[in-house]
Amino acid sequence: MRNPFMDFRSVHYQKKEIPLERIVKAKQEVMDRILESYFSIVEEEAKDLVWLVEHSRVVKTYDAAKESIRDLEYDQDDIEEFCAQLDSSQKVPYMISGPAGIYISALVNHIAQDSIVLGLKDYERTFHFLGFRLPEGKTLTLQGDVGDFIGAGLSGGRLVVEGSTRNWCGAGMMKGEIFVSSHTGQRTGEWMRGGEIHVDGNIWSTGKSIFGGKIYNRGKIVIPKESD
Amino acid sequence: MNSGENSSLRETIWEIYNYIQENLYLNRPDTEIKGIRFNSALLISLLTGLCQGKQLIIGEPGLGKTTSVEYVCSLLYRFPLGTIWGSEVAGHPEQTEEKIIGRPDLGKLNIGEEVVIWSHFSLLPIKIVDEINRLPETKQSMILDGVDRGNWEYLNDAIINREYCLFATANYQDRGTNTIIAPLIDRFDVMVESKHPGPNLAYLIGAEGANGIKLHNEELEEEFQRILSERLPYSVRMERVEELCNRFGDAMERGPGIKTLSRDDRKTIRSQKDEIPFDLDFNAFLRLAISELSFCHRLGQKRSYEGCEEGCHFTGYLCNAVRNCISNRFPISIGNFSKALAWLLGDEKVDLEHLKALMPFTLAHRIQWKEEVVAQHEKEPRDDPLDIHMAKDAVMEMHRRYMEQGPQVKSALAVAYRIMEGEDMEPIQGDHPIYWDIRKDLGEEVKQ
Repeated sequence: MRNPFMDFRSVHYQKKEIPLERIVKAKQEVMDRILESYFSIVEEEAKDLVWLVEHSRVVKTYDAAKESIRDLEYDQDDIEEFCAQLDSSQKVPYMISGPAGIYISALVNHIAQDSIVLGLKDYERTFHFLGFRLPEGKTLTLQGDVGDFIGAGLSGGRLVVEGSTRNWCGAGMMKGEIFVSSHTGQRTGEWMRGGEIHVDGNIWSTGKSIFGGKIYNRGKIVIPKESD
Repeated sequence: MNSGENSSLRETIWEIYNYIQENLYLNRPDTEIKGIRFNSALLISLLTGLCQGKQLIIGEPGLGKTTSVEYVCSLLYRFPLGTIWGSEVAGHPEQTEEKIIGRPDLGKLNIGEEVVIWSHFSLLPIKIVDEINRLPETKQSMILDGVDRGNWEYLNDAIINREYCLFATANYQDRGTNTIIAPLIDRFDVMVESKHPGPNLAYLIGAEGANGIKLHNEELEEEFQRILSERLPYSVRMERVEELCNRFGDAMERGPGIKTLSRDDRKTIRSQKDEIPFDLDFNAFLRLAISELSFCHRLGQKRSYEGCEEGCHFTGYLCNAVRNCISNRFPISIGNFSKALAWLLGDEKVDLEHLKALMPFTLAHRIQWKEEVVAQHEKEPRDDPLDIHMAKDAVMEMHRRYMEQGPQVKSALAVAYRIMEGEDMEPIQGDHPIYWDIRKDLGEEVKQ
């Protein structure tokens, strides 16, 4: 068959790019980079798919995450998309909750916006360490139930949990505020040195070693105890 | 051909146009092309004569359908009016092949020789069929081949017109008219209406009488009659006819002072206009238009006996408003006439303006609209007969789409070229049928 388009051989064609295509493409590039750096951290930190919660490991993982996202430009939608990928995508063959939560925390702590809301209600998996080292001036709202070590090492930020947390909520926090609309698990506020935790539901138990700060339950202070 | 000779021939055509407009066919300008206003019937008749086209002229009785083309033919082809009248075919139910095309020479037949006496209609390069729709449908088939190819056959003899143009007039439907059969009507390149000129010009027509007398020449008319009746080979007779034509041309220049065109002039004009290239917008817009008028996503192409499905995705395009498929004669007609117009206007390329101006006249008689679409339009205020009005609307609608999508359509065609040349690329996709047609050409299965 003759080429019926011969007359257009010298036309400089330009594919019309609709904005949505460009946005989707840019978003995909950002997501690919986020996933890539997350995988490298997981490979480094959890070689045998085992990740022990040790202070030094947590800090090392956080520092590695912080370093890997230093030049990355992203927004709240990208973090939410990353959470969704962790929860359901086949792109993430294995999900270790600890490093995943620390990585999300690093993303939250270094984002340009001051106020971040993450909708986690529909996820099957539970993320740990969300709000880790949340700095002063930032507000993180977590919609849905979350895992262990929420708000650990809080560093002046404001963490709002619209749901329940599991154990060790606010562990080792330095300053800032945590508001939990439902319940917290065991050893809430363990090793905390400052700041406040407000729980509207039940507190399973408070930490055995608390060095400072205050814990309120339904508006009443429970740590430090009045007898202290 | 130098540019001086170009412009001299062009000026001659404009002189003819102006002479007819001022003296012979008084009518209002009703169309505008590149800022110049023209009378569409007269302009398109001139183009038909120049590019050997076939034109259908419709209108009320007595509004100059036949006379306007007689004037155009007389001045473009150098025939006196009397000779033209003698060659015209009148459409009526009793018309026969013997009157239209040729008859046996009865004297020769008596001595056992089969010799055909060709009609003047079949011999002369200008062919006028008056009231073609009074020919019964069965008899319309007799002139199909001649109309299409200039090929006239009778008994075992045939003549082929190397140069010819055809004009047919048609009245609006009345008790004596018939439908023009689809294969015949598709053979017309253009359809125009000869409109009423309005009361003031009509008054002048009445007051001044018949100015066409200036296009008569009794002496030459007799000469033409004599030569056309001679039993000489067709080519010899036509050479002699041409000599007489040139004498008529001289007489017109000496008398009313009108320049006319010789056979060589017309040949020169045709070769010049054939060399004018189409620009890319003309090219792309024409493809887009053909696509809308032939595309059917469900059935592969439009077919006049098949309808559209309910809720078709392409409801917004013309394919959903028409019943039939546009023929391959349409791009030939529009290309030929657009080139002639571009030549007449002295343009270096055939562009969108030429296309837009002529497309309604090349489409009006070829599109069969769905009844519900006709019902939507027939009560609209308009200056044209419904067929031409709807064709003009359709062209405007397609042009609007082309203005929105033109660069993208051209890109899609450019990408398609590269894909066909073996480059590994994805065809550009879009909603318009043209994108789907491109993908079909690239061998893709595009059924949903």
